[in-house]
Formats: sequence, structure tokens, C-alpha cells
Amino acid sequence: MAKIGAVITKFYNEYSTKTPKKLKIIDAYLLYILLTGVVQFVYCLLVGTFPFNSFLSGFISCVSSFVLAVCLRLQVNPENKNQFYGISPERGFADFIFAHAILHLVVMNFIG
Amino acid sequence: MYKYLVCGVFAFLLTLNIANSDIINKNVERVIDLSSQLVKISATITLENTGKNTESSFLVILEPNTLRNLSYISVKDSHKDELKVTPVKLEKYGDKDVFSVKLNQQLAAGRTAVVNLECIFTNTLVPYPSSITQKERQLVRYFGNHYFYSPYITTKQTTSVVANSRSIETYTKLKPVSQSDATITYGPYTDIKELQISPMTVHFESNAPFLTVTRLERLIEVSHWGNIAVQENIDILHTGAKLKGPFSRYDYQRDTSNNHHSIKSYKTILPAAAHSAYYRDSNGNISTSQVRVRKDWIELELRPRYPLFGGWRSSYTLGYSVPSYQYLYKTPAGQYVLRMRLIDNVFDDMHVVELETSIVLPVGVTNVKLNTPYQVERLSDSLTYKYLDTKGRPIIRLKKTNLVEQHIQDFEITYDWQPILLLHEPILLSIALYLLFLVVIVYVRLDFSLSKAEHVKTQ
Amino acid sequence: MVQAGRQKSSTMLKINSKTGFSSLIIFTVLLLAWIAGFSSRLFAVIRFESIIHEFDPWFNYRATAYMVDNGFYKFLNWFDERAWYPLGRIVGGTVYPGLMITSGSIHYILHLLNINVHIRDICVFLAPIFSGLTAISTYFLTKELWSAGAGLFAACFIAIVPGYISRSVAGSYDNEGIAIFALQFTYYLWVKSVKTGSIFWSCMTALSYFYMVSAWGGYVFIINLIPLHVFALLLMGRYSNRLFTSYTTFYILGLLFSMQIPFVGFQPIRTSEHMAASGVFALIIAVAALKYLQSVLSKAEFKSLFTFGALTAAAIVFLTVVVLTYTGYVAPWSGRFYSLWDTGYAKIHIPIIASVSEHQPTTWFSFFFDLHILVTTFPAGLWYCIKNVNDERVFVVLYALSAVYFAGVMVRLMLTLTPVVCMLSGIAFSSLLELFLREDDTPRSSESDADDEQTTTSNRRLYDKAGRVPKMKHEQVRESDGIGANLRSIVIVVMLLLLMLFAVHCTWVTSNAYSSPSIVLASYGSDGSRQILDDFREAYYWLSQNTDDSARVMSWWDYGYQIAGMANRTTLVDNNTWNNSHIALVGKAMSSNESAAYEIMTSLDVDYVLVIFGGVIGYSGDDINKFLWMVRIAEGEHPKDIRESDYFTEHGEFRVDAEGSPTLLNCLMYKLSYYRFGELKLDYRSPAGYDRTRNAVIGNKDFTLTYLEEAYTTEHWLVRIYRVKKPHEFNRPRIPVSNRVIKTQTFVSKKNAKRRKGTIKNKPVVIKRKTLTTKQS
Repeated sequence: MAKIGAVITKFYNEYSTKTPKKLKIIDAYLLYILLTGVVQFVYCLLVGTFPFNSFLSGFISCVSSFVLAVCLRLQVNPENKNQFYGISPERGFADFIFAHAILHLVVMNFIG
Repeated sequence: MYKYLVCGVFAFLLTLNIANSDIINKNVERVIDLSSQLVKISATITLENTGKNTESSFLVILEPNTLRNLSYISVKDSHKDELKVTPVKLEKYGDKDVFSVKLNQQLAAGRTAVVNLECIFTNTLVPYPSSITQKERQLVRYFGNHYFYSPYITTKQTTSVVANSRSIETYTKLKPVSQSDATITYGPYTDIKELQISPMTVHFESNAPFLTVTRLERLIEVSHWGNIAVQENIDILHTGAKLKGPFSRYDYQRDTSNNHHSIKSYKTILPAAAHSAYYRDSNGNISTSQVRVRKDWIELELRPRYPLFGGWRSSYTLGYSVPSYQYLYKTPAGQYVLRMRLIDNVFDDMHVVELETSIVLPVGVTNVKLNTPYQVERLSDSLTYKYLDTKGRPIIRLKKTNLVEQHIQDFEITYDWQPILLLHEPILLSIALYLLFLVVIVYVRLDFSLSKAEHVKTQ
Repeated sequence: MVQAGRQKSSTMLKINSKTGFSSLIIFTVLLLAWIAGFSSRLFAVIRFESIIHEFDPWFNYRATAYMVDNGFYKFLNWFDERAWYPLGRIVGGTVYPGLMITSGSIHYILHLLNINVHIRDICVFLAPIFSGLTAISTYFLTKELWSAGAGLFAACFIAIVPGYISRSVAGSYDNEGIAIFALQFTYYLWVKSVKTGSIFWSCMTALSYFYMVSAWGGYVFIINLIPLHVFALLLMGRYSNRLFTSYTTFYILGLLFSMQIPFVGFQPIRTSEHMAASGVFALIIAVAALKYLQSVLSKAEFKSLFTFGALTAAAIVFLTVVVLTYTGYVAPWSGRFYSLWDTGYAKIHIPIIASVSEHQPTTWFSFFFDLHILVTTFPAGLWYCIKNVNDERVFVVLYALSAVYFAGVMVRLMLTLTPVVCMLSGIAFSSLLELFLREDDTPRSSESDADDEQTTTSNRRLYDKAGRVPKMKHEQVRESDGIGANLRSIVIVVMLLLLMLFAVHCTWVTSNAYSSPSIVLASYGSDGSRQILDDFREAYYWLSQNTDDSARVMSWWDYGYQIAGMANRTTLVDNNTWNNSHIALVGKAMSSNESAAYEIMTSLDVDYVLVIFGGVIGYSGDDINKFLWMVRIAEGEHPKDIRESDYFTEHGEFRVDAEGSPTLLNCLMYKLSYYRFGELKLDYRSPAGYDRTRNAVIGNKDFTLTYLEEAYTTEHWLVRIYRVKKPHEFNRPRIPVSNRVIKTQTFVSKKNAKRRKGTIKNKPVVIKRKTLTTKQS
């Protein structure tokens, strides 16, 4: 167990030094979404999923925001530059916005 | 409507002084034709002016409660010229239905004149019994008057009733009367008083098609490109004795005799210039029709999808096109005149309960004037849009009830129109295409610059 | 769009007018493919007329017409009380509305331009138009997978291949017509997004998937195939961040989108069919997380964390699955999907699925019939793909393998096989031609690993391909010296011959097998003259015009949609076979004797019974031939009253002649089919009552109907309609003929009065049905 703790501290140190600031912002955003999702899930466990579509749309919008942000993070990360040929950070961000636009349109529709 | 009123009032004033005229019917020869689903009464009347004054008109009067069945009335003189018939109300005759007929040549005192009266009544032959099985014969009854109903004294009259078949079940026998084949001859009767009624009943077998067009929507679309499209939506109903009990295809196929009360097919006559005709209903083409081209018309033998028995209905759409040069003229004053039939033949001895004719005029017509051969109700005009129209096409809508073959007459529409409007749609289309190309060009340019900028950014 | 534009412009920059030439050729070929595909689907329209075919299209047409008349929202909330009497059907929630929306919006746009096309014509021509779009998306997909030349081949193949034409002739207005386009387009976008890793493309994939979900139940194929692809790539160690981006984006958006379709509802998170996708989603996130940690941490550290993480993850997944299954959130597989795995399943458990001919296993003959030479060439293409494998070729390989399996299980799923066969055959042909038509200057080996330079290579190839398509082969053959010139020309001639044969076969199959509207039959006389048998429409039109507007018509479910569409009357069961017990009740009525059937019919308020009888003209698809299915389905629900064995002779034969079983000869279906047929002599040689379909003289000739009367029979006896008598009509005592006339007159009016009161009087019956349905569900 202690080993794991050591690993985690090392991981934290490495993360805080090596990661660019831009990515850190995204990571903060990710954490926020993760927490929102968890809150929603806990709420549904406690109160129930009665308007199921509302719960679903809320939860899925969380998950998809998370996923999209992860994707954005991957695309923006300079380390992955060679993997995403022809996708500049700007392009990635534009795509991100586009995906969010259609996502939230549908969520609006679904939330009822 | 206004014109009609004026006419009526005028006729009323006119007839005031003939109310106490001294006309008598010297001789009346009446033929009641019951061989079709209609009752066609034609009477040759010899009028005599026994008074001292010259008469310019005389009266025709209908039996009580027959006006609603009257579809058509016309009076011709001995030269076969149409005489003007106007409905009037006269105090003397109470609420009886009176028509005043204006003579072309005045009837001087002591002179005689011969006129031909023709009336067509619908819904007057009543099937009795009202419902029959498939194998039974269809019998109908006619209720009429032995005498010629007239506001004048009739000196002498004969009536012959022509039934559809020689098998006449019963008929009232007011002597002298005789029957030969399908014809019953009543009379001669002499010296009949005014407004005399003696009920006559004829009960006979009729295999004439009892087919009523319950609604006919006729749509005429005028295109100055040279085509007039006509489309008729027709609802038909077999108004003979209702079919009681089962319909057996087996019996129907075995019974090959032609005179059966069911209706297998009928003929519609189209104008000789008609082309690209179609015959369909809401489920698609009706594959059973035949076209025969005659010299002066086109005969279309239409078979409904199923044989029609009493009480069965069907509906279909018949459409065709005619070249416009036969119906569309240009007056020297530069106006256009469209002259077409208000209603066309559906089948022989047809009876149309309700007709609605719509005429779609081209885009941008102005100053539309309508002239109809007889009184019709004009519904409010409307607009329709077709084939990229920006301005709508006006529709003239006319309505009339209770029509028969004799109503197949021409109406006339005159209007102003600029031929340049013909190019309206092609120009519109080319502008649209031009704009499209322009947009594409702009888009390509725009796209180019955008991506370039992005390239710069990425580098 | 931005990216496409960029690519376009960059290629424009790099390459001169030769690209223009090649894109002109591509454009021309695709256009020709579209036109050829469109026109070869018009046989039915030319031979007959612009009319909706078959059964299901009639419902789609009716729903579309309803939507056009009443607007989209009313359509979504449409409760159709004219179907499944007395239950009704919530149409808006039980259809895939994509088809209706597509044609409805085409109609809307045309009417905005004031082009007054009737919705029927749009519906008729929708499938042929979409076949062109399918050809184009197939071209793009194949281009992504292999090369533009292969794409052109594939586009040409798919435009005319009978396997696809069978579902998309003009007038067959069915979901599959547009769904295949959506399928191909989704796959194209998927491959594109896997290649680029762009969120944009995966969003487009999700949108296209949304369209597919709205159009056809076959979307399940996509939502299983794409995760399968991802899973295979993961197994092959081909994980990349691109894959992560494209799959996660696609999955989560696709999940959300697919739940927008009312008919699909919450199925994507509740049924096992969709679970694979979410499993893969979780898996790929886990893999991505591990990869990320791996990139950050050293190996040993990673290991320790990995064990811990793996253990907790496994525990969580296990727990959720158990909990979900236990609480019943995840529904087990539906019957239709079971029948995909176990081909015998449907036959034993769900006769209603097995009774549909298109759910039967495919025969080898129909493989050849529908695909012709493509059957033989597509393994070659498959081999090429396996040999030069990369990310997206894994996809096509999986697609091909799964589609082959499904096509083998069900004739209907031949449709999903057809596009991939066309693509792979296109690849095979293109590679073959490349080999034999090439000027041997650039050996083509550096292709398999040319992943990143794909754009440039494809451009180069594109140019080569473009030069190949027109008939320049002679000069090229002469120039080449690698393989003998004679051999080359022989191979090419043979190949061209094959292709020609293929085209001929396609046209022949289309014109002969797939171009019959099936509601209009045509028979050919000995002199070649054609006679149209229009009995179906005759009967339906009779129903629509001469029966009460609220009359209820009982027929076997095959004709439900047609009755609703053409006759506009209330039906008891129809082709949307959602309620098996209701169908079984109708089957029971048809297979019982007259009095027992009368009880069922009065309890269901049946006014008319419609049967299809082909004995006069020798039409084999009639109700007597389907009768055993009715018995089987009825037996499934009412095993006490109906036993299949009763309808066979002692020797286990199903025969309608004098030796047939007495149960059969007295059941309602038999009586209704053969009522008064025993008197009919078809021609001078055969005896009276000779059934041409079954080549037998019927066994029970002289019988009368007590509870029903013949209401209408069409010209060729194909459709027979009977009226169910009201109780007072057959109970009345014998009265002399003279009185009878008056009697009938009074009861005609009485009947009308009863009709008016009908709703009140029938109320208890309705309640009865309700109890029945609860029992069933």
C-alpha cells in the first residue's frame, strides 16, 4: 500500500512539473466534470432516476463533455503531434466546440 | 345575381299584364321519356290567342313539388330558336313554380303559334322495391300527371310514355289508353281545365344505368405554352335499387346477359384533340379502359374497378390535355378569350348532383371577366402556386347543382395578359442557377483564404 | 467541412490539371453509376405504373402521407386506432421515422419551390435516388480503404447488384432503401475518423449513425461492428490516440443520439444488443488511462499501480453487471436476435418470425442469384485486405466476415452483405487490373505501411486509376513487358467478359425477379400479350368505397398494411407483428369451424373477413398455402383448441381434396376460400371445383355459410370479402317471400341504428379484450 502511495506522490510531482499549463487547465476542467458526474450519479442513487431521460441526458452530457475534453487534451498535447496529422490545436478546439454544440442541442431536446 | 334579380323584376312587370290573357292550348302532344334514369318531358304546344290583345309571352307552370327535381327547361319555337325562359312569381298562382316565356314573334289576336317545351327531371324515377337481390330485376316507378299541367285551358292533348322495356308491371289506366311495346299512349283527352291534376303511375322494369355523379370537380389549367390540362375528379353512385344480400361472383360470371341492373362500364366522350388521357383513383391506375378515336371525338370506355350495384359508389380521376389553340383566342383588342365547356360528358344521360369547375389562369392575368351560358354560383377566387411560381395563379371557381347533358355548354373568360410573363420561370431558374454558381465561386475563394490562414498558423 | 476544404485546396495546389481530368472521370463514372442504378430500378414503373409495392411500403407510405398532411409533431404522437383493433397502435413510438422524415422533407422542399409533386411519387422514387447516394458513399468508403479505382468499381457494382436492387426498386418504399446508404456513409465517416482521429469526423459519424438509427433496426449492426473493430484493434495492439478520440466521441454522441428516436428509447443502455459497445467504451477508456500512466511512470511503478487498478476495475465492472442484471435494467436478447445465433430457434419458439419467407436461411442459389460473380471475387479482395492490413482494413475484414455469417442465417440480411461484397470485389478487380494494365515503372510494395502518406499515395494512384478506366488498355498492353502481352490481353478480355456477364445477369434478375409490384400481377398469354390482374386493388377499393368507414376487416396479417393503406379500413392485425397473441387469435378464427370462428369474430367486432384465394388463376401466395402458419401460430397460443396434426391427413399430408382431413375441410379459411368454388368450371377439360394452385379437385364442395355472406369477390377470385352477419340476420324464422321484402327493409334501418349505438353496445367487448391483453403480456 505504501508503495502505491509513493507511486502516487511521484506521479503528482511529475505531473505538476512536466505538464504544460494549457493541459493543466483542461485537466482542471476534467476534474470538475468528473465531480459533477459523480454528484449526479450519487444523487440518482439516493433520490432515484425518476425522469430517467433527464438523468440520462445530464449524466451522458457529463460523460461526453469529459470524453470530448480528453480528446481535446490528446489532440492539443504536443507529445501526440505526430499521431494527429493535420490537426492543429486550433482545429482541435474548433472541433471540440462543434461537438459540444450538437451535443448540447440534443441534450436540450432530450432533457425534456 | 344582381342581373338575375333585375331580369326577374323586369319579367314580373312584363307579365303583370298577361296574367289575364286569353291564351289557350289548342293542341298538346306530350312525350314522357322514361327510357333512361332521367325523365325527359317534351311537349309540342299549339298556342292560340283567343283574346283581343297581342301577346308577347306565355306562361309555363310546373306541377307542385317538382321544381327541385327540374334540372333543365327550354322552350323553342317552330323555327327551333331558343326562347327566353324566366322564372316569375305570380300572385294568382300562389307559390306555384311559374316560368314566363317570351315569344320571338308576337302572337296577334286569333293567331296560333307552335312551341316545343322540353323539361328534364332528375330523381323522379324511384326504384320499387328499393332493394333487390343480385338476381332480381330492377323495377322503377314514375309518378306523374295524366294531363298537361298548364295555366291555360287545353283543348286537346295526347301523352305517350316511353318506358325502358316492354315489361311494364302496372300503369294507371285513364281511358283512352293503349300500350304497344314499351310505349303507353294516353289520350287524346279534350277540354282540360287549367291546373288539372290526375295522378299517373307507371311501374316498369328498367335496366338503364342508374348512375349519378354525386360530385364532379373539374379543373382546367391554362398554360400559354400551348396546353390546357383538364382533370375531373368524379364520385359516382349507383342510385338504382340497392343490392340486398350477397354479391356472388359466381352468379355474376355466369350471367352473361347484357341487361343487368349492375353497371360494368360506361362511355365518356372527350374532345377530339384530347391526348395523354389518364384514368386513375387514389390507389393508382385503373387498368381497364379503352380508347377509341372517332372522327369528331374520342370515346373512352371506362370500367370501374368493380361492377357497380345499387348503392355502391366509386370515384376516380380522369384527366387529359388539349392543345390551347382550339380554346384560347386573342381578340383584336389584345385580350385573351378562353372558351371551354363548363361541364363535359361523363356518360350518356348523365346526372350530376354537384359540379365545381375551377379554372386556373396563368400567372399575372388581370381584368378577368366571366361569361357563363346559364346561371352558376361563383365561389370566391383563390390562388395556387405551381412550378416555381412567385406570384400565384388565380383560380376562378364555379359551382352548380343538378346538371344534365343539356348543360354541356361553353363558358367564356376574357383577361389581359402579358406574353413576357411566359419567361418568368425560366428567368427565375437561370437567376437561381447563376446565384448558385456565384455562391460556389465565392465559397471556394473564401475557403481558400481560410485554409491558407490556418496553414500559416500551424506553421 | 473545413478539413475537406483544406484537403481539396492543398491537392489543388500540389497537383495540376491532371487531377482535374481524373476528378472529371470520377465524377462521370459516379454519375453514370447513379443513372444506371436509377434506371435499372425503374422496370416496375415502366411496366406497371408509379405505385407502392409489396406490404410494408404501404404502411410507410401511409405514415408518410399522414405526416405530410398533419405535420411532424402530430405524426410523432400518432395513435393509429385503425390498426390492431381493438388495441390500436402508437405509430409515432413504434416506427423508425427516418424514412418518412426523409421523403417528407423532400416533399416539403419541393413544395417550397412550388413544385407540386405528389408524395406518392416521392415515395416511389426515393429508393432509386438513394441507391445513387449509396454508390457514392461506397465509392468514398472504398477509396478510404483501398484506392479510388477500387472505389469506382465498387460504386458501379453496388449500383446494379441484384442483392441491393431487390430492396430498392422504384416503389419498394422501405427502410432498407435509405438505410444502406446510411450504413455505408456511417462506415465511411467512421473509417475517415479513425484515420484522422478528428473529433469532427467522429461527430459526423455519430450524426450519420443517428440517421441510420432513425431509418432502420439494422443500426444494431453498426453499433456492434464498430466496437468489434475497436476491440480487434485493441487486441492486435493497434491502440492509438486517434482510435480513442474517434471511438469515444462516436460512442457517447451516438448513444445520446440514438435515444432520441422514440422507438429506440432507452434500449441502447438496457438491452444486451447494445452492451458490447458500452463495454468497449469502458475498455478503451481504461486502456487510454493505462497508456497515459505508462507514459508518465516507470515500468515498475506502473506495474504495481496496474495490479491495484485492474483489481478494483474488475470488481466494479463485475458488481455493476450483477446489479444491473439483477434489477432487470439490462434486458436479455430479443427473439429476432436469438434467431441470428441459433437458426433453429425461431422455428421452435416463434413461428411468426419463421413464417416470414425473408427470415429463412439463405440458400447457395440465392447467394449466386443476388451477387453473381462478386461471390467469387470478394474472397480475393478480402485476401488483399488481410495481406495488406491496416487499421481500416481490419474494419472491412470484420465487416465482411460478420456480414457473410448473417447473410447465411437470414435471406433478408443478404442486404448487409451486398455492400461489402461490392467493395471487396471492387478491390479485387482493381488490383487485378492494376497488375495487368500497369506500365511497370513503380512497383507497388510500399503501400501497406503508407499510413501517413495516404493522401499523397492515393492521389498518385488516383491519377493512375483515372488513366485506366477509359479504354487505353491496348497501348498500355503493348508497352508493358513484365507479363506476356498475350496473357495480359487474355486476362483482360476474360475479365471484361465476366463483368459484362455480370451486368447482363443483374439486368435480367432485376427485370424478372425484383420488379413486380406484387399488388398488380401480370400474366402473359400464349401470344405474348399481357394481361394485368388488378384484383388486389379492386378489392381494396371496393372496401374503401362501399363499406362503412369504421368497418373492421379481419384478414391474415400479411394484408393488414395494404388494407389500411389502400382501403383505409380498420384492421385487426398487420405486418407490424408486435402482438403475437392477437395474431394467434385471428389464426384461431381462421382455423376453427364456422360457429367457433363466429364467436371469436363477434368478440373482436369483425365486420368483414378478407381472404386471398389463388385457386382460379393459380396464384401460389394465397391464404390456403399460408394456412399452416396460421394453424401453427394459433396452436402456439391456444394449444387446447387448435392442433396442427388435425389439419393433416393420416399420412401427414396437407391436402385440400376429398382425402384431406375433415378439420381442414370445415375450417373457416377453407370455407371462405372455396365458397361456391365447387360449382365453378374453369375450363372444359377440368372438373368443377378444380384448384389450379394445388392441382386438386376440392374435397368439400357443397356447403353454405351460416354466419357470413359473400360481400365481394374480385374478377379472378383472388380476393374474397365476406360480411359477418349480425345475430338477428341468421336467427330469423322463415317468412314467406312476400313478407320478406318488408322485413329486410326494416332491418336495414335497424342495422343502421345499431351501428350508431355500436360504441355503447360494444363496450363490454372492449373490456374483454383488455383482460385478454393483460393476460398475454
